[in-house]
Amino acid sequence: MYSRKTVIANATGLHARPASDFIAAAGEFESKIKIRRVGGDPEEDVGNAKSIINVLALGLAQGEEVELSAEGPDEKQAVDRLVALIDSKFGE
Amino acid sequence: MVYQGNPVSEGIAMGKVMLYEPFIPVVDGTAISKEEIPAALSHYKNARGGAKEELEALHSRLRQDDPGKAKIIKAHMDILFDVAMEEEIQDAISDGKSTEAAVDKIFRKYIRIIGKSADERIRERASDLEDVRCRLLRNCMGVKEKNLAFLTDPVVVVAKDLFPSDTASMDRKKVLAIVTEVGGPTSHTAIIARSYEIPALLGVPNILSGLQNGQQVIVDAVEGSLITDPTDEEQKAYKEKEIRFQEKAAETRQYLEGDAVTKDGVKIEVELNIGSANAQEIHDIQYTNGVGLFRSEFLYMGRDTLPSEEEQYKIYRKVLTQAGGNPVTLRTLDIGGDKKLDCMELPKEDNPFLGNRALRLCLQHRDIFKTQLRAALRAGTIGNLWIMFPMVGSLDDVRSAKAVVREVQQDLDREKIEYGKNIKFGIMIEIPAIAMIADLAVKEVDFASIGTNDLCQYTTAVDRLNQNVASYYQSYHPAMFRLIRYTVEQFNKAGKPIGVCGELGGDKLAMPVLLGFGMRRISMGIASLARAKKIISRLDLNLAKEMADKVCRMETAGDVEAYLKDSLKDII
Repeated sequence: MYSRKTVIANATGLHARPASDFIAAAGEFESKIKIRRVGGDPEEDVGNAKSIINVLALGLAQGEEVELSAEGPDEKQAVDRLVALIDSKFGE
Repeated sequence: MVYQGNPVSEGIAMGKVMLYEPFIPVVDGTAISKEEIPAALSHYKNARGGAKEELEALHSRLRQDDPGKAKIIKAHMDILFDVAMEEEIQDAISDGKSTEAAVDKIFRKYIRIIGKSADERIRERASDLEDVRCRLLRNCMGVKEKNLAFLTDPVVVVAKDLFPSDTASMDRKKVLAIVTEVGGPTSHTAIIARSYEIPALLGVPNILSGLQNGQQVIVDAVEGSLITDPTDEEQKAYKEKEIRFQEKAAETRQYLEGDAVTKDGVKIEVELNIGSANAQEIHDIQYTNGVGLFRSEFLYMGRDTLPSEEEQYKIYRKVLTQAGGNPVTLRTLDIGGDKKLDCMELPKEDNPFLGNRALRLCLQHRDIFKTQLRAALRAGTIGNLWIMFPMVGSLDDVRSAKAVVREVQQDLDREKIEYGKNIKFGIMIEIPAIAMIADLAVKEVDFASIGTNDLCQYTTAVDRLNQNVASYYQSYHPAMFRLIRYTVEQFNKAGKPIGVCGELGGDKLAMPVLLGFGMRRISMGIASLARAKKIISRLDLNLAKEMADKVCRMETAGDVEAYLKDSLKDII
């Protein structure tokens, strides 16, 4: 298990195209990956990072802090790659 | 049996009824035994496979015709195969829920969560989830898909209402006619039917319960009636009527080219309403004296990002080039009300038609407004550009809009970028308040165009999308004609162009009245163009003036309509 925190930096948040880009990237890894809103409800504010529905349901906006955690053979690469993607502001 | 309705797209058709009702799944909540779980799990996979095949077929059909719609179908596919939902559905089945109950439960859960999202663009995804829920459940229940995309025989489609998703995928070669219980002449269905030239009869109460699948009917979308189980004689009579209608339509089409000149020799400027400036619209400009309404908001719709200045510049340039020296009336971004954008989140309002829309919104989002104005001003170095502001209610609005134009001009001057120096600036007349001070407004603008759809909605206090009050939306209300007359008179007195670009401009009954008021420019969609030119060529302006005087003194919209039908019966 490996996890890291970061802050959503792009203006539109994790919606629309950024959300699609995010789950596409997550889908490239074998590990189970979770995305969690830091400070949110432990049951409700967590979702499967490979699920567009889960990611949209979280409705993460600019400025919110998230934690990415993964478990599996490529857990470190997965989390590092997704954090880098969020930090890149999805090219906005 | 004869039913009456509103003929919104003219034509006559005879054929078999297809009742088109959306599938409403009823889910059985009975629990399953442990032994049944493996079968239920594979039932889920099979149903999903069936749904996938349907979506793939739809996608490959739409990919060329309508890439925007194809993207939505692709999104449905992503929902269908969403990993988190799959896991939860399988867990629910393993807990003893039937396949249908498990699918229903998990989809409803996410429809609820997504539907509550703070972001409007996410909230709207709930309807995609709902679509996929129905498709998957229908496949679980083994019910065949019934939609308008795959029709084997030609049919008369009868429905309560049709949604954009229905008409988008509709196989228009197989649809003989459209009949619905709700909807009026400005509804989505009406606009689509006219552009596809499919006869349409809308607003026929209780028609669904009165008809059966396969029943033979005649749809007379000229007079506005539907006849069930016609006798041989009725069939014969209608076949003749249809031939006459086709002949008349062919004759009308001959008027498409050539100028519009009244019987007594007065030239009328007939212009075209365009939206996305696609190839067809660009082609059609040649049949007109210019573009009377370029709905620029179409450039902003169905996309995730705002169109750049350069992108807009190129499109404006293209339209100006095609129009030659004829006017191109560019209406600045008109959103809010019933029009939303994917690329811009707008707060939900209780009364959107009375809210922050069109120019009001642009004055608040200056950056977006300025980008559009820059693109337009730069494009205006060629051709004959007229820039028009929508939703103007006061001289304050006119002055604020012109102040932004001046700022943009100063920016361009400073950056030494060339822009059009002879561009005209004008307003839409669609709020009664500005119509009533047309004598003052005319001093501050170069031209105006009357948007009759919104003018009617604001004059009669009717939300034009609210079915319950549709009968109060009276385009022939005497107040409409009085407001239009006053506006036309004030602009003519000042010697400035005044036109019309709403539905009334192409309306066979109202258009002659507008000419009677002294209006000499009318703009409309391509579907009405040939007919309008034909009517003009047969119309004597003395008769038009006489009718114009009379309708302003009439008491009700019904009186006006009956009078115009009678007076114009030899012309239209």
